[in-house]
Amino acid sequence: MLRLPKFELEEPATLDEALALFAEHGSDAMPIAGGTDLVPNMKHRLFEPKVVVSLARIEALTGIRVTSGGELEIGAMTTLADVARSSAVQERAPVLAQAASLIAGPQLRTMGTLGGNVMLDTRCQWYNQTHFWRTSLGYCLKKDGTECHVVQGGGKCVAAASNDTAPALMTLGATLVFQGPTPPGESKANLREIAIDALWKADGIVNKHTEPGEILTAIRIPAQAAGHRGAYGKLRDRGSIDFPLFGCAVRLDVGTDEAVTGADICAVALVARPSHVKRIEDELVGQRVGSDDFASAVGRVAELAYKQCRPMDNSPGDADYRREMVPVYVRRTLHAAAQGAGPVHHV
Amino acid sequence: MAARDIHGPAPPWGDEFQVIGKPHRKIDGLAKATGHAIYADDIQLAGMLHAKTLRSPHAHALIRSIDTSQAEALPGVHAAITGKDMPVRYGVIPWTPDENALAVDKVRFIGDEVAAVAAIDEDTANAALELIEVDYEPLHAYLDPVEALERSDPLIHDTKKQTNVSKHVHLDFGEVDAGLEAADVVVEDDYSFHGSTHAPIEPHCAVAQFGADGLLTLWSSTQITHYVHRALSSVLEYPAQKIRVVQPCLGGAFGGKSDPFSLEFCVAKLAMKTGRPVKMLWTREEVFYAHRGRHPMRLHYKTGARRDGRITAIDARILIDGGSYSSFGLVTTYYAGQLLTGPYDFPAYRFDSTRVFTNKPPCGPKRGHGSVQPRFAFEVQLDEVAEKIGMDPIEIRRKNFQGSNTETVNGQRVTSNGFDQCLDKVETASDWKTRRGKLPYGQGLGVAGSMYISGTNYPVYPNKMPQAGIQLKVDRSGLVTVFTGGNDIGQGSNSVVAYLVAEELGLAVEHVRVVAADTDLCPVDLGAYSSRVTFMVGNAAIDAARKLRAQVVEAVAAAWEVAPQRVRLIGGHAIDLEDADRGIELREAFHLAEEKFDTLGSTGSYNTPTLGGDYRGGTIGASPAYSFTAHVVEAHVDTETGRITARKVWCAHDCGRALNPMLVAGQIEGSVYMGIAEALLEEHDVNRFGLHAGPSLLDYRMPLSIDTPEIEAFVVESIDPEGPYGAKEAGEGPLHSSIPALANAIHDAVGIRLRELPFTPGKVLRALREKQAPAGTESRAAERV
Amino acid sequence: MRVFRLNVNGDDLEVAAPAHWTLLEVLRYELGLIGSKQGCDKGDCGACTVLLDGSPVLSCLRLAATAEGHAVVTIEGLMPMHKARGGDGADVVQDAFDRCGALQCGFCQPGMMLSARALLNENPKPTRGEIHDALAGNLCRCTGYTQIVQAVELCVAEAAGVEPAQPAWSADANGKKV
Ligand SMILES: Cc1cc2nc3c(=O)[nH]c(=O)nc-3n(C[C@H](O)[C@H](O)[C@H](O)COP(=O)(O)OP(=O)(O)OC[C@H]3O[C@@H](n4cnc5c(N)ncnc54)[C@H](O)[C@@H]3O)c2cc1C
Ligand code: SF4
Ligand code: FES
Ligand code: FES
Repeated sequence: MLRLPKFELEEPATLDEALALFAEHGSDAMPIAGGTDLVPNMKHRLFEPKVVVSLARIEALTGIRVTSGGELEIGAMTTLADVARSSAVQERAPVLAQAASLIAGPQLRTMGTLGGNVMLDTRCQWYNQTHFWRTSLGYCLKKDGTECHVVQGGGKCVAAASNDTAPALMTLGATLVFQGPTPPGESKANLREIAIDALWKADGIVNKHTEPGEILTAIRIPAQAAGHRGAYGKLRDRGSIDFPLFGCAVRLDVGTDEAVTGADICAVALVARPSHVKRIEDELVGQRVGSDDFASAVGRVAELAYKQCRPMDNSPGDADYRREMVPVYVRRTLHAAAQGAGPVHHV
Repeated sequence: MAARDIHGPAPPWGDEFQVIGKPHRKIDGLAKATGHAIYADDIQLAGMLHAKTLRSPHAHALIRSIDTSQAEALPGVHAAITGKDMPVRYGVIPWTPDENALAVDKVRFIGDEVAAVAAIDEDTANAALELIEVDYEPLHAYLDPVEALERSDPLIHDTKKQTNVSKHVHLDFGEVDAGLEAADVVVEDDYSFHGSTHAPIEPHCAVAQFGADGLLTLWSSTQITHYVHRALSSVLEYPAQKIRVVQPCLGGAFGGKSDPFSLEFCVAKLAMKTGRPVKMLWTREEVFYAHRGRHPMRLHYKTGARRDGRITAIDARILIDGGSYSSFGLVTTYYAGQLLTGPYDFPAYRFDSTRVFTNKPPCGPKRGHGSVQPRFAFEVQLDEVAEKIGMDPIEIRRKNFQGSNTETVNGQRVTSNGFDQCLDKVETASDWKTRRGKLPYGQGLGVAGSMYISGTNYPVYPNKMPQAGIQLKVDRSGLVTVFTGGNDIGQGSNSVVAYLVAEELGLAVEHVRVVAADTDLCPVDLGAYSSRVTFMVGNAAIDAARKLRAQVVEAVAAAWEVAPQRVRLIGGHAIDLEDADRGIELREAFHLAEEKFDTLGSTGSYNTPTLGGDYRGGTIGASPAYSFTAHVVEAHVDTETGRITARKVWCAHDCGRALNPMLVAGQIEGSVYMGIAEALLEEHDVNRFGLHAGPSLLDYRMPLSIDTPEIEAFVVESIDPEGPYGAKEAGEGPLHSSIPALANAIHDAVGIRLRELPFTPGKVLRALREKQAPAGTESRAAERV
Repeated sequence: MRVFRLNVNGDDLEVAAPAHWTLLEVLRYELGLIGSKQGCDKGDCGACTVLLDGSPVLSCLRLAATAEGHAVVTIEGLMPMHKARGGDGADVVQDAFDRCGALQCGFCQPGMMLSARALLNENPKPTRGEIHDALAGNLCRCTGYTQIVQAVELCVAEAAGVEPAQPAWSADANGKKV
């Protein structure tokens, strides 16, 4: 078997207990949610925490709620399967439901959580490998080594954010609620709510700004504009299981006259941070969905995306081909969103 | 012994089959369905140790020294072994013994086995591996077969000719140059076939136990129990009589478990050393290193044809990337040329194939061993010939059909041949005439044909003994137990044996038990490779059952005082054909026979007739019967993404007789799936460091059910004169033509000829762009072979 | 070593295993429930699929101790549960897989059948597309999936009392039905 390294397992029943464990063990402890990313990574000896703290028994972290303000609040431990099939999510944030429905395979969606997906480690073909493999390679910057094999001679890790829900949540303007250990002497919960855009940094080694020992407790999605439409497009080799080779989330706000009033596109599986495609509103706003002008604006947006998105050799497969698919997937996904359809996926 | 003389394809009792030809359940189906079937890793023995292998991180290096002392000192470690403990070389082909259970002085690819440790558990064994110190002297690593061909310093193996060539075959039949001269059209091109691997879902596993009496028992996920038995004896330098090899239920193989493997020797040696049972279960990554998968080939073909479609000559040159060891490579190098000579008839053929060593995981026999790659090149080329002369692609294949009872240009005897019916089937089912060439842009149909062997008369090590043996034992309850050395690897060969014996004896299938692939209990069979099992083991089973049947019939006839012709065994009874009131249960008939003849039992065997061309290598690829296949594939091409979808595949396969059509269909469907998978998704290769590019079931993209085309399988029965009731193989043939049929369908859909596998979307887009580029700028592949 | 309770196939068991053992390791090597298979041990193949509170999960990624308090069903549980409901022999899914020839090497099939069982529990009349989606986390290397999908469709047809579709091969070369 591909054995796990030895660790101690803690299964706190409350958030406070969990936070206390992180306060106690510091960087020796790691949270585990569904484990579908952490367990393979530990088996590959990418992480060898002394203590693994399971969040699974903390009931408060699970569930999907619509607040009176029309906000969606999704507990970090809510499974991807639940996110994908929730009618509240499908109605209010279709792009998220679609992205979640295309993650991995059915069993992994039953196990994997939304919080775990947001917090997913970056991926790279030179990194997500067994210990033996990486030893034979001589390791790389991200773990145990000094060189990058993607940008040869480069001094920075460009491992790819590969979490499908990240771009979806970004187009939705989601915020993330983190809770950290309460500092000694304080009694108030150590809460931090940040825009998801503020989570990312352009470093493949750790692509998130987080505080020591803090836990992502919930994902909040503000009420969207009245004519909100969204869709997710995912390029991958197989019809299931595979991580994205390119992913794009689209938000279109459409007025009653079918004219676009706002738009956003986010891309993933390129470099360390998922990113917005810039200057697209200039092209799209004011265009009537379904018109020829809209179609040509979509074409221009696809070109913008092509210019801004440069897949690298961090993922397996042909980076040139992935780049070529950027405008195709962006265009198809925009059209799908406009039509209230999606996801865009080859099967 | 020549059992082939006595069976015919007819039902044993003259009129209709009782069991054969019906979609029976498999005899082990419910055990597998309920999780009760025991596979190698399911074996847990008291006091069992767990072993792990230390592997080379270098693609090519000398081993200066290995120090295992620290590992041995680790608490919980019971033994550590290195190549010095088992220096005898082996190889599944006895002429090319170039493997060691553990490297002795040199490693030849990243993942090559260097040392092994047995400990109380896997964690301890893994920890011990980290304590083994190996001093390597890295050597230049060959990752490119062309470089390996041209350069001989350093040598990967110390070959006689001091080159990196593993095997070279050049054979010439008929007047090739004259044939090409006389042709109205000649098509010449380069093709390239990439590597792929078997990836059975069960990883390799072996368990060994060493008794105080010196008996060594090995349970292993192998498809060649007999060869493992021989290899163990030779490598361990231990008498074969004291070794028992058992194949438990096997979780898939496809050729990937048909070499003796390092883990088998290691657990045996470790068990002998420690006196405790030892298990080794490879991780998925290790299975990728063990490989023995499809050889990458670079192929150059030249085919000439007359305007009427008849092929005048074929000239082929093939460079085969063998990876680091010989494995079956000698045979591969022959098969690459020898197995092209059907289902078409042509007067002249030449092939020159060269297998070179490289520092990559060793290639070997994957489903359709050696002949899938040439078949791809040739069938695509034939399509182009048809295009050039303006002939329908099915028509040109009909035109060149060799027919039955004939001899191929390379001197192979062909008996039954239902290829023409296969073509008819797929033509009708796919609505070819109204749809091919007429579907909207982006959609197309393509056809291809192929043939494959049903066993070979080349028995790996030269001997005149039977290639397959069977023993039957009768219980007084009416149960018959069949002992067969045959390896059921999931294809259902044990079930087939049960059906045959049941048919012969008039027994219900559930009253036949099969004990298989245990060298202590079962007569020798050579193993599950070259699609030999149904044909050979099947014939041996009929042979044995007929002998038993004769005794039973004779005893019943004697008891009833009637002529034996009047006694018939059917439906679990012996009946009198002339007296409807007379009948006894078979159980009682067995009792009569046991009273008359003493303890009942019989043996049966099969050996091939003398076959093959009268030239060196002429027996390699000589088969007692050939199976034939035709595919039509419907492909859809997304011209914007370059993604190809094989929408539907119609596959008609001539398996002689379908002993169980449901199992034949399963083999056809599995073959089609595997062919399309390697054409579109799978790629087994190393990266620029010589490291496997992605040794996992995540990065090695095997299709899921949503990725698999709809498959319609058709069974064509040509009733072979020598097969068991006329049966031939079905497990490998139906893979071959799926790949060129897909390539030809892509041409029909969008007008591009893809000559380089796999057909990734990027390549498709490039080809589409090239096609749109102005004439003259199109660069046809230069000579690369 | 952790001591915890697992509910497996209806039995409430006390188990002792190190914290870093997966559910698959505990099922196979501690409890002897070897019907759950291992094909990759890291989430890529589906061979280790078991049902956890009725949903298919990968036991190779699940830390064993975290399964405490949940109902685990392995392939060994299907027949006894079927019998307990008054059924005869194996579960209808297992039986259909056998009748359709879907069990070639059989190694992927415990996981595959549990995915199919979970699907049918939730949706007794899945479309072919829904069947593909439900099986999209289980690799099979032998069958080309055709007989697997036929088996699931056989279950659906029989439950609905309709005639299942006949595969192409069942009218053989000579047009006679087998
Ligand atoms: C074969 C396979 C295919 C996959 N395909 C895809 C895919 O297509 N797309 C995709 O996006 N993902 C994919 N994944 C990855 C994974 O399944 C999902 O991303 C899943 O959402 C991860 O969630 P989890 O709960 O299992 O995370 P875990 O593995 O439990 O955790 C992931 C990381 O986040 C941290 N973490 C988890 N929860 C929290 C929290 N609440 N607060 C702080 N930190 C936390 C953990 O410490 C860990 O570092 C795949 C995985 C596998 C094995
Ligand atoms: S991009 Fe990949 S190779 Fe480069 S440092 Fe990051 S993980 Fe390593
Ligand atoms: S063994 Fe668990 S998914 Fe492969
Ligand atoms: S039946 Fe062998 S892997 Fe599915």
